Amino acid sequence: MNDVAPKKRRVLVESSPTVPLISITVAERLGAALDPPGKEGLSRLTSRLIRRTGAGLTTEQLDERIDTLGAALSADVGYTASSFHGAVIRRSLDSFADLLIDVLSRPSLAEAEFERLVRETQAELVDARDHDREVAQSWFRRRLFEGHPYGRPVSGTPSSIGKLTLEDVKACYARVQSAENLVLAFAGDIDESAAQAIAERIEQALPRGEPAPDALPDPTLSQGRRLTIVDKPERTQTQILIGCLGTHPHDPDHIPLHVGNTIFGGTFTARLMHEVRSKRGWSYGAYSNLPYDRKRRGFSLWTFPKSSDAAACIALELELLEQWFQDGVTTKELAWAQRYLVRSHAFAVDTASKRVGQALDEELYSLPPRYYADYVDRVKAVTLGEVNDAIRTRITPKDLRITVLGTASEIGNPIRDAIPNLADSEVVPFDAEC
Amino acid sequence: MSATSAVKRPKDATPWLAKINASAGPHGTATYERSTPFGPALTIQHFRLKNGLRVLVCEDHAAPVVAYHTWYRVGSRHESVGKTGLAHLFEHLMFNETETMGPGELDRKLEEAGAESNASTWLDWTHYNIAVPKDRLPLVVRIESERMGRLLLRDPQVTSEKEVVANERRFRVDDDVEGAVSELLWATAFKEHAYKWPTIGWMPDIQAFTTEDCRAFYDTFYSPNNATIVVVGDVSARRVLELVVPAYGGMPPATLPVEDAHPEPPQTEERRLSVAKPTVTEKLVLGYHAPALGDSDHLALSMLSEVLFGGRASRIYRKLVRELELAVDVHGFVGPFHAPGLFEVYASAREGKTADALLEPLDGELERVCRSPVTEAELERARARLELSLVSGLETVDGKATTIGFYDTVLGRPAAAFERLEAASALSVSDLLRVARRYLRKESRSLILVRPHSTEGAAA
Repeated sequence: MNDVAPKKRRVLVESSPTVPLISITVAERLGAALDPPGKEGLSRLTSRLIRRTGAGLTTEQLDERIDTLGAALSADVGYTASSFHGAVIRRSLDSFADLLIDVLSRPSLAEAEFERLVRETQAELVDARDHDREVAQSWFRRRLFEGHPYGRPVSGTPSSIGKLTLEDVKACYARVQSAENLVLAFAGDIDESAAQAIAERIEQALPRGEPAPDALPDPTLSQGRRLTIVDKPERTQTQILIGCLGTHPHDPDHIPLHVGNTIFGGTFTARLMHEVRSKRGWSYGAYSNLPYDRKRRGFSLWTFPKSSDAAACIALELELLEQWFQDGVTTKELAWAQRYLVRSHAFAVDTASKRVGQALDEELYSLPPRYYADYVDRVKAVTLGEVNDAIRTRITPKDLRITVLGTASEIGNPIRDAIPNLADSEVVPFDAEC
Repeated sequence: MSATSAVKRPKDATPWLAKINASAGPHGTATYERSTPFGPALTIQHFRLKNGLRVLVCEDHAAPVVAYHTWYRVGSRHESVGKTGLAHLFEHLMFNETETMGPGELDRKLEEAGAESNASTWLDWTHYNIAVPKDRLPLVVRIESERMGRLLLRDPQVTSEKEVVANERRFRVDDDVEGAVSELLWATAFKEHAYKWPTIGWMPDIQAFTTEDCRAFYDTFYSPNNATIVVVGDVSARRVLELVVPAYGGMPPATLPVEDAHPEPPQTEERRLSVAKPTVTEKLVLGYHAPALGDSDHLALSMLSEVLFGGRASRIYRKLVRELELAVDVHGFVGPFHAPGLFEVYASAREGKTADALLEPLDGELERVCRSPVTEAELERARARLELSLVSGLETVDGKATTIGFYDTVLGRPAAAFERLEAASALSVSDLLRVARRYLRKESRSLILVRPHSTEGAAA
């Protein structure tokens, strides 16, 4: 695996004239994992400030220009990658490209806008406490990746945002905004030569820098089943997340585990949905998730039953997890999952923006060579033994993080009773910083 | 980019239709009606079966996939007091059991075929969307025709699905402050019209439904003459008709009930509520009575909404979020409905700020657009945002099929998205001034101030 970002920029192009729309992504192999402890949210705030102060324009002028071109421009920051994503109607491409280059290369990072953005971000973080799923996910992520950058919030917290200074932001900009770290992706109604010309202009407009080191360690998980109840008053239902560490794209059993997850909770008719929703009606949704990144991420189950069903639902999920771990999947299930994954792949590549998105992911997350090109063949080649070995190797039913958002006085005791071998539990208020 | 005029009839439409019709069922004879352009590059071909089923086909060979969408012209406005949420519950039940497919088998077959499928219900319609690799289209036609004509409804599935829907309601409404307040807004603004109840239904109604209720609803509304099939993708119209005619041709049309419509009487004074909710910050929600999608004012009001609320360059976002720093977020939306709906406004206050504090500057901006016209630049910005939004929604076959089916179902004009784009270019700032004065009237609005429980006692 390459732990140092390649020195040369990459330009990815997927041309398709079917819709008069072009998307341009300017991405970097750097993200919030580099935010210093106590300064969570720095990378995201920096990207947002660039978006608002570029091209020598005020935020108002910039927003008007982008809208009037029939365009949109957003900044997105993950743990190990970040990007500016633009979309524009065909006839405005040239003007939008000029503006985009100017935004990226000439942000004023104005102090007044920085201070305004700090206040705005803090207000957004407080407001987000109204969204139960987000709050539950934050606590789950924090406990699953305790001590690892993945456990810290990309968006920061009101207090971490309050500690940021404009000097922090300028230093972050100087570190990340470099032609050396770029991956550029174009999709839609644009040909290769036009895309290359814009790419060259972006590269020339940005300062040279050093390739960013990728010093992120692999996360580890402490032993035992540990419960976090996020206490929020007057909830009629709960948000439940259960999980452990998951997969890494370079694992030899990465694709077998992906197939196994598809059978367990990856689709509408998977085991989890069948048992929780179809048979019992307990939760509108019931899925398991196995994302990837540059380092190992998590494996998680998500359900949201009413408060009085929460304990029984957790007990059922643990039972299903244990059964999946002990007994594996069947030949019939494997054949079904392979057909589903192979045939549904048509919808992973049916638009230019999806195709270029795959190529972009391969670059940004240092995926194995031909990760997507060989995806279908790799799925087809998976054997029953490989799937069941992968589940037993990667999934740890004895070592789980369980996060439940709900009204603790109603759900606490039944839930603790429903979890065999519970090592410890805590109750945290929903409005605590996380 | 005109979408209104009919285009030339396909040369070979009649010969191949005749061959297909030769083996059609008693209700399945298909007739080619016309073709209409859908944007600059695509065409919609219109067909109708003898039983009233409409079939719209848009050939799009960009990728080897096909979207097959079924739109039923029944939504929550067709329900009655005490039976709210039935259209939505029924949408769930359509994924259960048919005469030839056991419980859960339908979804299993679709997933095995690599399909993307879902469904949605709103005030005016119910929409089933399936997209498949093109070689799996026969399976989709079989499934959709099977559940239109031969769905089985049994007590265990109805009981289980009612619980699922109750949980969906808890998720979207009861434990979601924006969902809960939106529901209250519509119930406050409408006193007569069926838009007063939520599509998901009131909880006691959901819990009280019987299998008989569901069966009666199915028999009444799920018939070929109350549906339109929209097919977009890498398939010919001929192939679509070869599959559709035998699959649906045996179904007779139903006698559809006369809609028991109760037009909403004009609202003559502001309706204001103050409620306490388990929320961290105060909210302000407004609803002005607004025109139906088919009204010529709808587009002008939508463009005015863009000027006021569309993105960070909009007037009210700038005023409340950036300039005064009172709100975290503010957005506005003119509902796209068959009957007159609402122009909804939602604002979330920053911590320590009150909903009352949001109202004064918000009212100031709304009054300003009633006093003097917006600028040409603002209108141009709104037009560009409309165009980007339309084009962005057409990347996939599902996006195209949804756009076609939605406008066909609500307006009877499947290419109306492009008609609106063209009409937007002809709108003037005078039009926006006119609709501002016509619809942004305090006496025709409902207003809800939402406070966190802990501050309710201190509220004015």
